[in-house]
Amino acid sequence: MADSATPWYRMDNASVMYSAIQREDYSAIYRFSAFMDRDVDPEALQRAVERAMPRFPGFAVRIRRGFFWYYFEPNPSPGPFVREDAADFCRPVRFGEDNGWLVRFLYYGRRISIEVFHALADGAGSLVFFRALLAEYLRQLGEDIPADCAVDLDAPPQREELEDAYRRHAGRVSRRPAQVRRAYQDIGTPEPFYTFNVTMGFVSIASLKARAAALGGTITEYLAAVLIHLLLEKQRQERHHRQRPVTLGIPVNLRAYFPTETLRNFIMTVQVTADPGLGDYGLAELVNLVRCQMRLYATRQNLQAVMTRGVRLQYNPLLQIIPRVVKNLIMLRSYRSSGVRPYTATFTNPGYFSVPEQMSAHIEHMEVVLGQAAVARPHISAIGYGDTMEITFSGTQQENDLEREFFRFLVREGLHVHVESTRP
Amino acid sequence: MSYCVNCGVELGAGVGKCPLCSTPVLNPRAPIDRDAPPFFPTRHEEVEPVSRRMAGLLLSAMFASVTVCCGVLNLIFYRELWWSFFPGGAAVMFWVWFAVPLLFRKINAWYRLTLDTLAIGVYVLLIALAVHGLDWYLHLAVPILLCAVCVCPTVIWVVKYRRLSILSSAILVLLSAGFLAVAVELICDLYLHDAWLPGWSLIVLISCVGLCIPLIVIRRVPSLREEARRRFHI
Repeated sequence: MADSATPWYRMDNASVMYSAIQREDYSAIYRFSAFMDRDVDPEALQRAVERAMPRFPGFAVRIRRGFFWYYFEPNPSPGPFVREDAADFCRPVRFGEDNGWLVRFLYYGRRISIEVFHALADGAGSLVFFRALLAEYLRQLGEDIPADCAVDLDAPPQREELEDAYRRHAGRVSRRPAQVRRAYQDIGTPEPFYTFNVTMGFVSIASLKARAAALGGTITEYLAAVLIHLLLEKQRQERHHRQRPVTLGIPVNLRAYFPTETLRNFIMTVQVTADPGLGDYGLAELVNLVRCQMRLYATRQNLQAVMTRGVRLQYNPLLQIIPRVVKNLIMLRSYRSSGVRPYTATFTNPGYFSVPEQMSAHIEHMEVVLGQAAVARPHISAIGYGDTMEITFSGTQQENDLEREFFRFLVREGLHVHVESTRP
Repeated sequence: MSYCVNCGVELGAGVGKCPLCSTPVLNPRAPIDRDAPPFFPTRHEEVEPVSRRMAGLLLSAMFASVTVCCGVLNLIFYRELWWSFFPGGAAVMFWVWFAVPLLFRKINAWYRLTLDTLAIGVYVLLIALAVHGLDWYLHLAVPILLCAVCVCPTVIWVVKYRRLSILSSAILVLLSAGFLAVAVELICDLYLHDAWLPGWSLIVLISCVGLCIPLIVIRRVPSLREEARRRFHI
């Protein structure tokens, strides 16, 4: 039992969901990797982790099971320890294993990776942490990295970084998100026990931006449009009796709309959809469709109303008195109906990873991997660094037709694509 | 670096075939660099959980051990009573319940249900033999078991294969439980008193019917049904 004096804090709206749907073989987890200019020194990395962890108390926690809710409390266990990377990316987090740590630090050759359980933080928060860790690692190697290159590790932790921004910015009006209830499901054949396939494509940002601009969109809009185009085509070839809308779930960083310093979760998924029942779409039309829908749904008012609904549900007194075990079952079922069925795939682009000049010479490219989906379908993620946009397809499905067609499509668009994969 | 002739993507120096389409890499000007370190780690860390078959064998060994030990002890201690039938019979019953599904995965669900019921029957028979109670076994245990055999599989079959909604399934299960309680009391009364003296089972039946009435109302009124579906995600 935890000491009554031990500090603890509530989960935010997203953490509650990610903890509730946690299973032995499934976790909402993601990975960021930095491909360095030389082989990783694990001892220097361990020293950097030990320096960085106290500055980011939001990552140095474990999950405890309360009768009504899960909650976080500081993890007094030794660690976390740097480990050599293995082929099983984004393995599920089990709350009782690994001393309760919910973040992993891994190295392989020239690659430094962190894997974060999504209940702790979203991608933007984790990238702040990762940037500070990389800066400290380079310092440990003897590089001259000034303190203002990333978060100052000697400064005390900021309370604002731990705030529940969902709760702070919840408004008065609560709305259910307007979304397609049931989308085309691109579900493949699940691999046998823990086989997680990852395929990465590396494309020049300049050429990608030029191609996207020619179609009137940004890189994210262009990549989302290509995905929708290929999924529409795939559904057409499968000749379903009823052609359902193809929808992508695109997480939106709410920090752009609401001021906060939080490093915890502060994202919301916006649905971008194309209905094949309305006719055929050209690529330029799809880019425009994605662009318009993003602007229509990702408004401050709309996001706040949906966020308010989630916060009100979490703090509803009647729902609060339901035991956690029962609540988990309800949320698991709710996640299937509101987090799985309305989406064909998830596409996330945490943005451009920028570092100061002193650090940039030591990092070759960045990588991002989204952990497995709740069903056997691909997750798509992308991150930019330097002139390299890294696009990842990850999942537990045997089929690789979507990623194959996606990269072939980019090649046909005149883009140079370098591919690496864990598939045999 | 080579390119896949099929997909047009550039491949790593140590890659022997395209990961997208499995086309082999044949480039005389840039042979595959077998010594190049793989781009991703190849060592697996996640350990596959114990197979169901192994778990089934382990359970079988445990139950067999209990049965044999009790049997041997029975030959030494309290030889006037076949007390080893109690733990031994329970071990057999649990083996049928838990180890058989692990050992024989493709066994039909109805065969399993039949086996499970037979296991209960055999266990109760062993107890009856041990305490010289074949009379209550034939007139009490067997009829109750037959009633359960009639009701449970029928309910499961209806719920599973008639694709009933959650509300309809709940109504069916509640009503079945109520009537099963009445049947059990009827059998007990006939055995003990040679007459039906309805008592506790009526309370169970009325409670079940009382629970069913709101469910039936929700089931019959479309607006209520829609509201329940939205609020409870059913």
